[in-house]
Amino acid sequence: MSKKPAPQPALHKVIMVGSGGVGKSALTLQFMYDEFVEDYEPTKADSYRKKVVLDGEEVQIDILDTAGQEDYAAIRDNYFRSGEGFLCVFSITEEESFQATQDFREQILRVKNDENIPFLLVGNKGDLDEKRKVTLAEAQGRAQDWGVPYVETSAKTRENVDKVFFDLMREIRSRKMEDNKMSNGRGKDRCKRKKLKCTIL
Amino acid sequence: MPPPVVTGISPKEGPPGTRVTIRGEFLGNKQSDIIGVSICGCDCLLSAEWKSPNKIIARSGPGKGRGDIIITTLTGGTGTSTVQFRGYHEAVGPLKESAVWVEEVQSIGWGSTKSIQLDDPLGLSLEANENKFPEDDLQEMFPGCNGDLSSENFSPCWFLLQNHSNSSFDDLRAGLAFLRRKVDSHQEGQLSFLKGNVSAVMEQLEVLEALQVAFQKDVESFGLDRTEKIVEAIKECRNEGKMLFDGVLKGREKADRTRNALGVLHRFKFLFTLPTAIQRKSDYDAIISDYSRAQNLFGKTEVKLFKDVLTEVRLKVAEIKEELKKKLHTMPSSLDNQKKIIRNLVQLEYEGDPGWEGITVRMNFIMEQLNACHSFYSEQIASVKPKSGKRDKNSQDKQAAINCRVECIEDLCDIISILIPDLWSLGQSYFSGELSTKFDQNKLDEFKAGVENCLKEMCRLVREVAGKGLTGSWPNCLQVVRAVLVALKHIPHDTILALVQFFRIECVKNILLTTAEQTKRLVDKEDWVLIHDSTHGTITHLPSLFEKLFNDSLSILKESALKLGPKEAELFSNPAMKSEVNEHAHAIFNNYIQCLDTLSDINDDEQSMSVSQLAFPTFRTSLSHTLNWEDRVLACISNCRYSCEVTVPRMEKTWNEAELPSLDLSKPTSDLRSLKSRLTACYIENRTDPLVGTVEPSMYIGQFEWEADFTPVGVRPYANEIIANVLVVHAQVERRCGWLKEEVLTEVVETVAEELSRLMLCVSHMSRAGAIQATLDITAVEHALAKYTTTQARNFFSEALDAIPALDEESKKTVDKLLAEYKKKMYMQLLPFEAKSNS
Ligand SMILES: Nc1nc2c(ncn2[C@@H]2O[C@H](COP(=O)(O)OP(=O)(O)O)[C@@H](O)[C@H]2O)c(=O)[nH]1
Ligand SMILES: [Mg+2]
Repeated sequence: MSKKPAPQPALHKVIMVGSGGVGKSALTLQFMYDEFVEDYEPTKADSYRKKVVLDGEEVQIDILDTAGQEDYAAIRDNYFRSGEGFLCVFSITEEESFQATQDFREQILRVKNDENIPFLLVGNKGDLDEKRKVTLAEAQGRAQDWGVPYVETSAKTRENVDKVFFDLMREIRSRKMEDNKMSNGRGKDRCKRKKLKCTIL
Repeated sequence: MPPPVVTGISPKEGPPGTRVTIRGEFLGNKQSDIIGVSICGCDCLLSAEWKSPNKIIARSGPGKGRGDIIITTLTGGTGTSTVQFRGYHEAVGPLKESAVWVEEVQSIGWGSTKSIQLDDPLGLSLEANENKFPEDDLQEMFPGCNGDLSSENFSPCWFLLQNHSNSSFDDLRAGLAFLRRKVDSHQEGQLSFLKGNVSAVMEQLEVLEALQVAFQKDVESFGLDRTEKIVEAIKECRNEGKMLFDGVLKGREKADRTRNALGVLHRFKFLFTLPTAIQRKSDYDAIISDYSRAQNLFGKTEVKLFKDVLTEVRLKVAEIKEELKKKLHTMPSSLDNQKKIIRNLVQLEYEGDPGWEGITVRMNFIMEQLNACHSFYSEQIASVKPKSGKRDKNSQDKQAAINCRVECIEDLCDIISILIPDLWSLGQSYFSGELSTKFDQNKLDEFKAGVENCLKEMCRLVREVAGKGLTGSWPNCLQVVRAVLVALKHIPHDTILALVQFFRIECVKNILLTTAEQTKRLVDKEDWVLIHDSTHGTITHLPSLFEKLFNDSLSILKESALKLGPKEAELFSNPAMKSEVNEHAHAIFNNYIQCLDTLSDINDDEQSMSVSQLAFPTFRTSLSHTLNWEDRVLACISNCRYSCEVTVPRMEKTWNEAELPSLDLSKPTSDLRSLKSRLTACYIENRTDPLVGTVEPSMYIGQFEWEADFTPVGVRPYANEIIANVLVVHAQVERRCGWLKEEVLTEVVETVAEELSRLMLCVSHMSRAGAIQATLDITAVEHALAKYTTTQARNFFSEALDAIPALDEESKKTVDKLLAEYKKKMYMQLLPFEAKSNS
């Protein structure tokens, strides 16, 4: 990569989080390759990167698809650190996965140490409405509490798949622009992080 | 196609051998398109599995660190990748759970250098510094460097980020001071070191003293040897350790054993499935190959389990052998099947010579089949015979018996044609070693003799059956036997050749005999439909029927026996054969002549009929059923001549054109001629006798006296009757046999003349009127029959006239006048005689 002389397009790092089996990989693969994977194969950590056009500008999206499984929770911190935006996915057919989003949210905030980190709450498997366990109101309520958008998707029908990724990229982009301005005001963020760290210790 | 681009990797990191799903674009259209897969610089093409143009699955290689995934396709060339894979080597300690067993040797050092962290050079605590800064980012920021203090490529920034990303600036400053102090102390040497640390040294001395006091105290209370306790503690430790690890080690051992067992089971699965496979008897080939594999692998095994299974297998194999042997000895069985069984038996180390056994079984089977077939038909024929009660049924039964024989011969031939080639082929396979048996070359002669025996037995049976008679079915059977020759083309078949020769000869003889027989029966075929032939008169169908019969038989012969098959010898090479055939041919002709003779026989009833018809001639000739004897005789005469001149020469030619021994038909021809003459004479006699017989009674009818005185007014009725009767004969002969007219009529006229002369000579007294009358009558007759009057007849007429007393001139005139009148009157009636020359 270092060989490429042309200026690299902006890179937006997206991380997929959520319980196992909610459709993180399915969303990612649908977005990346327009394919829907029927069988369930637990993920460890998958990496995807491609060029997309975001509002007329060519950018690169880097997607880190993580494991939702508890076994890998220990290494999640590491991955989260590199993320610039998060799609926190749950399945509208599984109450537990919705509950788990709370933990993910907390973990992300702890690691990123940033309340305003770009973040979307995604209710997947919208096509299975007849098996719905999580009501729209419930999910919207939680999103409101967190101050994040809530979108319902279906990796199967591709409904809103592009939307969640592009919406998140837009947020990341505006966050970066904000950060650039802020960096002139000398690492306010860093102070904040340090402070939080101390409280943990 | 554009170069491949890898845009996705799952998972993005893992130890060597990780199964990775590579996604992207233009990854080829089929497996063979992919000509290169490299992950972190390691060639992984071998493990690559093409799934779709967007997806390949491969296993990572031993590459360490991050690296691109490069796919090369046939049409797109070398590609690029937007994602990277990180390979790492997993260090597994004895207490870490792992999916694979890691050899202990490799893990000596207990968790590698990483776990035994050196003291931090900055003197700071290493709180929570477990790689919190992602290594990937470090690698990106400081390519080619690392955070290892001892490394040449040590990068302080890396180190700090890696270990102290969370330390405060103050802490780091303190650390720097610490580091500097340490470095300084090294530089200033020991003295300055001591100086700088006087307080610390003093403190240490104090501690040492305190230690000594404490030690002294210990010696007082516990004695000098204090290692004892330590030794004990160590021992205890060791036991404890043992206990602690015993479980792990045992677990490992057990896992090892299980794995081993599983491996063995898997590798030698076939051995354990063998008994069931044998039980199922599904596929002998597979079983046998598994068995020999098992024999090779476990034949000398000491392992009880294998031994047991093998014993079981051997028992079962023995059963199979027995079964195969039974199958080998069971007939009928297809050649391929038998060969397979033989091969199987050889593979199973069958004691004996399965190939030879197969051959013998087959030979015996053929013999059995032949004899079974023969006896089956013998019974069949026997069951046909006793039923014959009535005579007419007899011929039917005869035919049924013949049909049975023909079927028997057909079946015998079939048995040979079908079974011998198989036997021969089996023999060839055996003697060429194709059956993978050790074969006994000495048995070759035995084998040939065996085959020959089968053929001989078949020939013997066929001859026996045929010997009882096949009549018209010989050609059929010849064909059947010849078919055997074709079937045995590649096998020595002289025996069959001889049989064919025998059949050919019999065929010829029988056909000729049958023809003779049928010729005899032509008598019944004569329908007496008269056919007019301009040169030969009126003939019947008989000659052509005979010719057709003859030709038909010859063409059957030509189609069968006379046709020379490959390798077949000339039929009539020996003279005895030739003369026999000629005899048969002559018999045919004799029968024909006999037949003509019979047909022309006078039937008494008809004879009397014909006499009456003389008086009232009716020409109902075309009605075949009521055809009178004369017409029949005439037809026969014509037939004789026609045969002589037309059909027989033609038949002779046909015969000689066929491959038959040349035939001289002069004898039958002359026989025919003499028959013709005999019949002609007979006809003449039969015609003349009544004619002449009526002359005298007619002459003296109504108490006529030659000496009486009367006035002759014209020719007397008896003379007219004579002429009329001759005309009738003339008409008949003319109609039926124009060419015979001369011969018949001259004869008739001669007899008539003779009779007239006799009658005249018998007259003792004749009046003048009587003389005139007699002269007139005889002259009239003579004149009328002049055309057919031979010298002999003329003499008779002269004799008759001389017997009449001499006439005076007056009387002569009267005679002339009356004669002239008569000639005028009779001109029309006599015209037929004039037409003689025309026909
Ligand atoms: N019906 C339906 N099934 C989905 C959807 N998304 C994922 N799945 C299925 O759910 C299972 C788990 O999906 P996966 O993406 O592997 O879950 P992950 O563990 O979150 O990555 C798979 O069998 C998918 O086919 C969806 O939107 N609709
Ligand atoms: Mg997944």
